[in-house]
Amino acid sequence: MEIARLAVLSISLALLPVAAHAQGTPSPKDALLYIIWPHDGQTIRGAFWCRFGLRNMGVTHAGDTYSNSGHHHLLVDVNEPLDPKQPIAQDKSHLHFGAGQTEAHIELPPGKHTLQLVLGDAKHYPFDPLVVSKKITVRIK
Amino acid sequence: MRGDIRPLPSGKHPTPPGGTAVRRLAAIAAGDIAGYSRLMGLDEEGTLARLKRIQRELIEPTIAEHHGRMIKTTGDGFLAIFDSPVEAVRCAIVIQQSMVGRNTSLPRQHWIVYRIGVNLGDVIVEPTDVYGDGVNIAVRLEGIAAPGEVYISGGVYEQIKNKLVCGYQSLGDRQVKNITDPVRVYRVLPDPAAIVSVRHRREVALIIVLSAALLVIAIGALWYFVKQQGIRTAGKTPAVVQTPKAASPPAPPVPVETSPTARPAPVVVPAAPQSSPPVTEPEMTAIPGGSFAMGSNDDASEKPVHQVSVKAFAISKFPITVREWNECVAAKQCADLVSGAPDMPVTNVSWADAKQFVTWLAQATHKNYRLPSEAEWEYAARGGTQTKFWWGDQFRSGMASCKNCSDGSTGAQLVKVGNFEPNRFGLYDMGGTVDQWVEDCWHKNYQGAPTDGSEWLDGDCTSHVIRSGSWMNDASYVRPANRDHYDTGVRYPTHGFRVALSP
Repeated sequence: MEIARLAVLSISLALLPVAAHAQGTPSPKDALLYIIWPHDGQTIRGAFWCRFGLRNMGVTHAGDTYSNSGHHHLLVDVNEPLDPKQPIAQDKSHLHFGAGQTEAHIELPPGKHTLQLVLGDAKHYPFDPLVVSKKITVRIK
Repeated sequence: MRGDIRPLPSGKHPTPPGGTAVRRLAAIAAGDIAGYSRLMGLDEEGTLARLKRIQRELIEPTIAEHHGRMIKTTGDGFLAIFDSPVEAVRCAIVIQQSMVGRNTSLPRQHWIVYRIGVNLGDVIVEPTDVYGDGVNIAVRLEGIAAPGEVYISGGVYEQIKNKLVCGYQSLGDRQVKNITDPVRVYRVLPDPAAIVSVRHRREVALIIVLSAALLVIAIGALWYFVKQQGIRTAGKTPAVVQTPKAASPPAPPVPVETSPTARPAPVVVPAAPQSSPPVTEPEMTAIPGGSFAMGSNDDASEKPVHQVSVKAFAISKFPITVREWNECVAAKQCADLVSGAPDMPVTNVSWADAKQFVTWLAQATHKNYRLPSEAEWEYAARGGTQTKFWWGDQFRSGMASCKNCSDGSTGAQLVKVGNFEPNRFGLYDMGGTVDQWVEDCWHKNYQGAPTDGSEWLDGDCTSHVIRSGSWMNDASYVRPANRDHYDTGVRYPTHGFRVALSP
């Protein structure tokens, strides 16, 4: 029984790095993801181009496994915390830019909205450590 | 994403009926590869193949996305014309930033780095070429640009300085060859530090190697323990032998799947026999022709509601399954990217993958298999109803696989096809389970949509329509009118498809 427990323990320990690897593609410590435009607190009339900034990493297509590179995801009015163990969701508030886009034309209804960028790896998983931008708030007139 | 209407010269050449060339103001972007002959000397075939791929996958689509038109490619370079200088510079920045990503994994001497010049000027436009000083200056700017940089003329700068939030560094007036007046030159700093620093590459490589080594040790230890375990308490510890690796016979612990990034699909499919086996066709359901109100007022993308007539057609009863997909893989016509039980819906396929499958199926069966049009999909999903869901206006638990949709705990996970009630046409999983690609290009709403049930193909075709929602989306995505979109060539784990057949 003792041995069985030990085996289970060793297996779970051995699997730990596997689990971490399957999801957490490593990102450089100094990677910086940010929204170039619009600025936090900005008031915008109508549709706008949101521009994505990334330092110390490169932008590539989803599916490409070049090290130190990923693709952008823009989270619009998302309040739930990001699950680092799941692919970044795909729906009307999680916009994907897997073709390597570095900007997006965004149309939002009038009112306050939040925008946040998350960099995803080849399989749309967040990096480890997470590469996310500050969540900014814009007001659409 | 980009549905705005704007008269474009793209596609149609701007030569008037008279046949004379047109003189007009245009933004010209010229690009070429720095050190091209050195690259060709290093590896001629490889460089050429990469260059073609970059042109096909990056340069051409990016120019089109920015409402430009590729005039010509010249060996290692390209020349494109844009109506708007803002779009031209944006396009140049996107190309440069994407190239950074493409180069990071390669040794420095193999980097393909573009130099790009953008000028605004009066040019003579012909269908296959442009002429004039405006073009020459763009080419000269490209010539003096540092590798990886975008240089623009004063004319472009004046037009974009208040519209495009970038850094601009003035390089003063430069005399360029064969142009009388000096040209004011600016260097564009899209994001001063975006030009990737690769000094961390070595560190990261070291980390990966170290973790790989750790993993090997861990697997070795695991294997050792399991083996010991197997000897001492044979057959008494079923719970332990959960992992397939541990259950395999005591082969040396080869470190498969140690690299977290470059991991090919692990499914091994036996090679196709010489004579191709008969294809199992998907189970098809005949849908009678008819007319219906397509769209809804629940979301801006679903407006306006419009009457559409659909001709009789057939659609697969279920989403395409892993079993069906793997027949295409065995025939070496589809990407080997799927794992999972045979009756699970195929997932993680891009629109391009789905097209490959229907093309193969049509060829193998000599039948007119294709993807359904968006109108056909919605018509089939409604099953003759006009309610919010095919069973009524209220969502009911247990009718579809979606997020937070069931009372029980069997929430967010992929289930096999046909797990829920079929709709009135006898179709399963028309809403929830997996997102389903259709033939249509994405349009942000139904303004100008066809009313004859055909696919809607013009417009922004870098993105195609997905329908149905998936197990990862909430109940509102299960509605038959719901629509969303995704980049054409990109795979995502909740995306599948079903096939249609014209009679």
